[in-house]
Amino acid sequence: MLMKQILFILIGLSLISSCGEEEAYIPVPTPVNLEVPNNFPEVAYNFENNTLTEEGIALGKKLFYEGKLAKDNIISCGFCHEQASGFTHHGHTISHGINGNEGFRNAQPTQNLAFFSEFGWDGASIHLDLQPIIPITSEFEMGETLASIVQKIAVEKEYNTLFSNAFGDAEVTSERILKALAQFILTQISANSKYDKVIRSEENTSFTETEAKGFQVFKNKCASCHSGALFTDKTYRNNGIPVNPKFATEEEGRKRVTGAAEDFYKFRVPSLRNIAVTFPYMHDGRFRTLESVLDFYTDGMTENGGVIDPSLINADGSFGIDLTKLEKAQIIAFLQTLTDYEYLNDKRFAEF
Amino acid sequence: MTFLKYITIITLATQMLSCIANIEDEVSDIEGTIELKFDNSYNDNDLLLNTTSYDAVGSEQVKISTIKYIVSNISLEDNNGNVFTYPKEDAFFIIDEADTASQKVNLYNIPAGSYKKITFGIGVDQETYSKGADGQGTLLAKAQEMGMMWSWQAGYRFFRFEGDYTSSTITTATAFAFHMGSHGSQLDNYKEVSLAFPNSIKVREEAKPSVHIVANIATVLNGTTAFLLEDAAEIHVDAIKSPQIAENVQQMFSVHHVHN
Repeated sequence: MLMKQILFILIGLSLISSCGEEEAYIPVPTPVNLEVPNNFPEVAYNFENNTLTEEGIALGKKLFYEGKLAKDNIISCGFCHEQASGFTHHGHTISHGINGNEGFRNAQPTQNLAFFSEFGWDGASIHLDLQPIIPITSEFEMGETLASIVQKIAVEKEYNTLFSNAFGDAEVTSERILKALAQFILTQISANSKYDKVIRSEENTSFTETEAKGFQVFKNKCASCHSGALFTDKTYRNNGIPVNPKFATEEEGRKRVTGAAEDFYKFRVPSLRNIAVTFPYMHDGRFRTLESVLDFYTDGMTENGGVIDPSLINADGSFGIDLTKLEKAQIIAFLQTLTDYEYLNDKRFAEF
Repeated sequence: MTFLKYITIITLATQMLSCIANIEDEVSDIEGTIELKFDNSYNDNDLLLNTTSYDAVGSEQVKISTIKYIVSNISLEDNNGNVFTYPKEDAFFIIDEADTASQKVNLYNIPAGSYKKITFGIGVDQETYSKGADGQGTLLAKAQEMGMMWSWQAGYRFFRFEGDYTSSTITTATAFAFHMGSHGSQLDNYKEVSLAFPNSIKVREEAKPSVHIVANIATVLNGTTAFLLEDAAEIHVDAIKSPQIAENVQQMFSVHHVHN
């Protein structure tokens, strides 16, 4: 009998506490597996430090379209990164921010960033999480401080729930804001263009004759830099673009980041996916059409104070790529196959 | 009383005992606090901002308005050669000459023992960058508030040194500014500083030893590399000069004394 009582007491005690810790309700976020298209390279982002979850992505999307990330409470990330334009700033040479302030660069698409480890025209960020700090804090763009956006977001009831769902509690930190933004951006994968379907032999898709010829010319004349499934070798190169006199003092290209003289006016080789809808082109958006871009490569290159990329210098020392008018038209027809209409209309990425 | 019941009793009793044992383990780990004092000087004198003109290289004289730097990755070596690494996430500090409170850094929960050496980083290491936002605690927001982030790149300024200068040829006060940090993935300017204590510090529960670290700011201009401000008064991101500044900064620290 005594033994029985002891047993009950012991069971009772062990039920009351397990080393005295109370179990509280903690929302558990739902993990998401990022689907990588089979013609794509490996993901460069390390998910170990930022697990992709449904709730994290949802919070990131809300923040991507949140005007409160800017000083004027209006300019969101989505202001310059519009989905219909492949997440670029439609029709703007250089993107503008709060109070109509203008920087000196053209907004880049936010697609396929999961496959990159450096960001921006000059590699100014070496981690996707940290990239949004630049536009958020730039006086030309959103003009805010991280401390201030944390305060603004923390008082919003709606965000209490969103943060709790994504991170287990309602605390708002810059770390969490940046992680959630990264999660949303990481899901923006564009891999369903006509080109992809041809490459993956899907839906009986094939190139037209002009597109196929354009693809051949492209492979011979452009693909040494615009290589692979992402259409960029991710290097920084000086393509002989004339110095823009409007930003002669500010713009130094990659030299701004590395401080190395030889990096003057070098810019990241951009991806060409969705290129037909992400006009205007080049780091300062100076060219409105793909025709202008190709005309530049045949006739417009010049000394610009930096080291012109050797791949663009001909045997006789002249600059440029040799292309006929017909070849240009064929290349453009091919580039148009890189437009991914499923991505551009994907409701998962849309503001409304 | 069946056999099963005995097993249950034993299991439950063991479970409770292990709880008690855990509590005892925690109690037996005695921990203490260490204070680090970062004292910026100019050669033999206490550094005064916006007040005194100090001799620099050649005929140049500097009046300093800003000194700020990021301290990170702190570890302590005890007399037996064991290294205690302070939790990385809690080990980011920004020392600002204009803010006295920032110059005293408290390190908590240091295992009791006698320590002979301290190692810390100046700046933010590449490992931290490679983790993105993860594990940076409040540093991102704090660094930005304190002007220790560049606005055009997502990176920290490790070291800020500003003021104005004159020389035999430049007689009107002219602004100078050195801002040093890593250059994206291209150039890692993070440096480690290791300093032995003149006598070991004894960390105990009841005692709070203090380490007085002097940073001789004169070394920034006149260390391994001598910088004439006349040649370059503004150095922000420079592939050759920024690493030289980082090296000079690394050399400016010494432990003056410790209190037990």
